Amino acid sequence: MGLPRYVAARIVWAAVVSLVIVTITFVLMAAAPNPAIQEAATQAALEGGDPQEAVERERELRGLDEPLHVRYLDFLTGVYTLEWGWSEHRSQPVTEALSEGLYYTAQYSVPWTILTMLIGPLVGVYSAANMYSWKDHLATGFAFFGYAIPNFFFGIILLLLFGVWLDWIPVVYNTDVAVFSLENVRQLAIPVFVLVTGSIGAIMRVSRNESAEFRNADFMKTAKAKGVSPLRAYAYHVMRPTLVPLSTTLVGQLLAIFLGSSLLVEVVFGIPGLGRLTFDALVAQDTNLVLGSTLIFTFIAVIGNLLEDIVFTVLDPRISYDDR
Amino acid sequence: MSEHDRDPTPDAETETRNDEPLLEIEGLRTTFGTDSGTLVAVDGIDVTVRAGETVCLVGESGSGKTVAVESITRLVQSPPGRIEGTVRFKGQDLLSADEATIRSIRGHEIAHVFQNPQNALNHCYTVGWQLVEAIRVHEDVPEAAARARAIDLLDRVGIANASSRFDDYPHEFSGGQKQRIMIAMALVGDPDLLVADEPTTALDVTVQAQILDLFEELKTEFDMAVLFVTHDLGVVAEIADRIVVLYAGKVMERGTVLDIFERPGHPYTRALLECLPGRGNEISGIGGSLPEPTAPPDGCRFAPRCPHAIDACHRDGQPLETEIEPGHSVSCVFYREGRDSSVVSPEGPTGVSSDDADEEARSTDD
Repeated sequence: MGLPRYVAARIVWAAVVSLVIVTITFVLMAAAPNPAIQEAATQAALEGGDPQEAVERERELRGLDEPLHVRYLDFLTGVYTLEWGWSEHRSQPVTEALSEGLYYTAQYSVPWTILTMLIGPLVGVYSAANMYSWKDHLATGFAFFGYAIPNFFFGIILLLLFGVWLDWIPVVYNTDVAVFSLENVRQLAIPVFVLVTGSIGAIMRVSRNESAEFRNADFMKTAKAKGVSPLRAYAYHVMRPTLVPLSTTLVGQLLAIFLGSSLLVEVVFGIPGLGRLTFDALVAQDTNLVLGSTLIFTFIAVIGNLLEDIVFTVLDPRISYDDR
Repeated sequence: MSEHDRDPTPDAETETRNDEPLLEIEGLRTTFGTDSGTLVAVDGIDVTVRAGETVCLVGESGSGKTVAVESITRLVQSPPGRIEGTVRFKGQDLLSADEATIRSIRGHEIAHVFQNPQNALNHCYTVGWQLVEAIRVHEDVPEAAARARAIDLLDRVGIANASSRFDDYPHEFSGGQKQRIMIAMALVGDPDLLVADEPTTALDVTVQAQILDLFEELKTEFDMAVLFVTHDLGVVAEIADRIVVLYAGKVMERGTVLDIFERPGHPYTRALLECLPGRGNEISGIGGSLPEPTAPPDGCRFAPRCPHAIDACHRDGQPLETEIEPGHSVSCVFYREGRDSSVVSPEGPTGVSSDDADEEARSTDD
């Protein structure tokens, strides 16, 4: 009954969704030819051995001769116990490689997410409060600019400007710098700026248009008639209802950019994070590592959507938690 | 804070009560700049409200009632709105007062109750939170004290189990209950003037009667004056002390309840009263519709729809108000000097009518 039960139900659903995704991944993997087996066959043929025998041996070695359901259960156990295999390309366990990537990704993702969540709604509501003034037009122009310009291109331009011509920031990302140091802030400022510019546009637009609806609502007149100051009225009576539809956009935008653009930005700025790890693994045909990073992104998306659903219901008291 | 703004001595207060009106609106003109020109919603109206009395602003939809009362504490969005004239509340001009002053009066000395209770409360906060906000905006009281007072008020306006419903959200209340909550919210500052803008229009008839009764009780209990806006003459008859009839942003007639209901002077007031059930004209209504607010007619605003209109009605602006008996005045050319007001009476012209009035009465419908 009520909120706890609803949250529990959502969590169960998230688990089911992740299971479905893992299962589909398994089916695709099982249906695809395994490059390691092809390689073993080629190797045997080159060395004058029997390719067929080599294939048999390799299949046995990798457990591929087991029945499908046994392999499926093994795979499931592996996924959920975080035994994600060995990355041949990086010569380390996949989980270890991923956590190293995550370490660098988090350094720019955390400030980027926080800045987007703070600045986006604030500027959007401010824009609505000063609708059609030059401030609004400026914010709108910036929003469209950020939304329209490709992140990687913007990144290259800024890198050229500030890194090469002005020499304010290092061109090559230095992994030896301490996380909480001015030097790290300096080298991450531009990537964070590029990502914020890309994600903030949609959030500013949505919060501007949603709050435009609420700023003329009857309850705003009530607030005014109560003697509430305009600042307080916007902060409480407009911001709060705006956050309800905004939470959907917010999570969607952040996830989309996190999964897509972060790769490009990491490649441009040379940050050895999750995005570049995935990219390198794809190029090197390191199946285990590609699978691992795909699962990471999948779980982030599932958890993001779960949070969004919960935040949504907490923010809008009119949503009933029963019978769902 | 604002306690100091009140009259310094009790004697002065009693005196004020008798002589100086609580609220004095003079020449109030509220216009809106629109793409199709300046829209004149309220065009120079005078209304006075004395302490403790109930004044009703009556008129059909679009006559400027709401804009008029929302101009008092400058609730009208400006721009595009533009409020001119004077509004004196306890001797202080509200239209020239600075923002901080007007904010300390809003919700504290002058409280508002609006037409549509469904949307008047913010759906994201509990009613308790919103009541406490109304209290704490004006007074620096602890949360617990504000909460206790809010519960008392909810209880007073007839919300059952007030303390357990304090943390409920607006959508968990019915329309009538929401309006009761809005009334409770208006009472937090113990206001001297309650402005009620069609507070019963969105409610069904049985609830309407209960809310009106509540207004009557609270008016005495809290010793407030009430400025009541409505288009419902049945409601007016029940609660009003004095009535001001508005049409297209102008005052047509004013007087006591008896003046208006028993001896209506203006053709518009008469037509309006005839729309009441059992008064004859309920099917046909008043022919025509309100004039364009961006291009009001030259003379009397009602002239284009008036069955008695003569040439003089179509020029020289709205006629000056003529006091036909103490406290009862009419803005109609037929009550001006040298005209026969019996022309517009339901019985038809009696006595000696001046020649030109008769002649012009024939050339009405052009």
